[in-house]
Amino acid sequence: MNGIHDMGGMQGLGELGYHENEPGFHEAWEVRVFALVQAMQVGALRPYIERIPAADYLRMNYYERWYTALVTRLIERGIVTRAEVERGHADPDVVKATPVVTPVVARELLFRAPRTEQDIALAPRFRVGDRVRGRNIHPTTHTRMPRYTRGKTGVVERDRGIFTLPDSERVSAEPKPQHVYLIHFTAHELWGEEASAHDSLYIDMWEDYLEPA
Amino acid sequence: MSQRHSDHAQDHTDVPSDPALRVKALESLLVEKGLVDPVALDVLVDTYENRVGPRHGAQVVARAWVEPAYKQRLLDDGTAAIAESGFSGPQGEKLTVVENTPSVHNVIVCTLCSCYPWPVLGLPPTWYKSSAYRSRTVMDPRGVLSELGLDLPDAVEVRVWDSNAASRYLVLPERPKGTESMSEADLAMLVTRDAMIGVAKVASPRVGDGA
Repeated sequence: MNGIHDMGGMQGLGELGYHENEPGFHEAWEVRVFALVQAMQVGALRPYIERIPAADYLRMNYYERWYTALVTRLIERGIVTRAEVERGHADPDVVKATPVVTPVVARELLFRAPRTEQDIALAPRFRVGDRVRGRNIHPTTHTRMPRYTRGKTGVVERDRGIFTLPDSERVSAEPKPQHVYLIHFTAHELWGEEASAHDSLYIDMWEDYLEPA
Repeated sequence: MSQRHSDHAQDHTDVPSDPALRVKALESLLVEKGLVDPVALDVLVDTYENRVGPRHGAQVVARAWVEPAYKQRLLDDGTAAIAESGFSGPQGEKLTVVENTPSVHNVIVCTLCSCYPWPVLGLPPTWYKSSAYRSRTVMDPRGVLSELGLDLPDAVEVRVWDSNAASRYLVLPERPKGTESMSEADLAMLVTRDAMIGVAKVASPRVGDGA
């Protein structure tokens, strides 16, 4: 969706706020939200983060967005109720579940890269060296195609393999695996003549985001 | 809940004035319902607070500097070479290492969220997730780098990697001058997180360092 999260190329979004050697977490609750997300194994939160209204998104700190997305997902999945979240206590007649992530699993999670690449045979639509253009599409739900790539022409640099199209996570129950390509765009193509003639941008794009150029 | 909350419908849970209390309440709810094991939660907190971080990436970089065959494996297949050094895990399914040279400078950003190579760099700093960094780096990488203290000559090619799909990226910085006699362990001490994101170079050691 054309949400506030799709920020590439926007202007006027404030300061970098750079601090050298800044830690990943600033407050104790931030790492606890992070750990709760890992412990619940509820899958990608990005679609839920992207649904946060723009004004709230900009106001919230990063882990406040995670908290909001996690709660929304847990409620939508029927794992908790809003009343329970407000109270901080379970409904009295609730049947106690068994945690998915035990301490042993938690220790293993550190070393296990979840595999999303698909080992299936699927002919690629594009080859390395092909000129391709970002399609002019405006999905209303989650997508990994930044808007600054729409209508822009680049070259296929590498075939990344086959991955499920993230757009299909919510639009359809049917997974849609397809090739992902590393695309090379010149800075001139993306940002015009004022950009440096030497510079370029690389981005992985699913096949559905591209058309022959 | 307030009127504001119902205005936002079910897509949004109001953020409390004190997030710490809200998170604590959510945690105790999930524990009470048997959905979360508190010991497992402590393991996860300890892991991401203390056990993953940019020192892993620094070890990978230092090894690549002293071992040409490893460097080649790293550039050919980052995931396998990094696993060979003992690092893997969430956000590390496919790791791509891009090499900085005197003529090419690479910088990593995620415009859509906060994609970052956790197994080698840990969790990202706030500035990496800031609206300004995410919005500006793709369009004006030289301006962002300059603001962060890195002015690149016009002749250097800047490659921006918008990391938000299959792969996560690690920059292999240039080995600084004056480090020829340093050990791999001492070299690793020089490598900064910023250099592995591509917003800085690795500085030469000050006189007396690494001796």
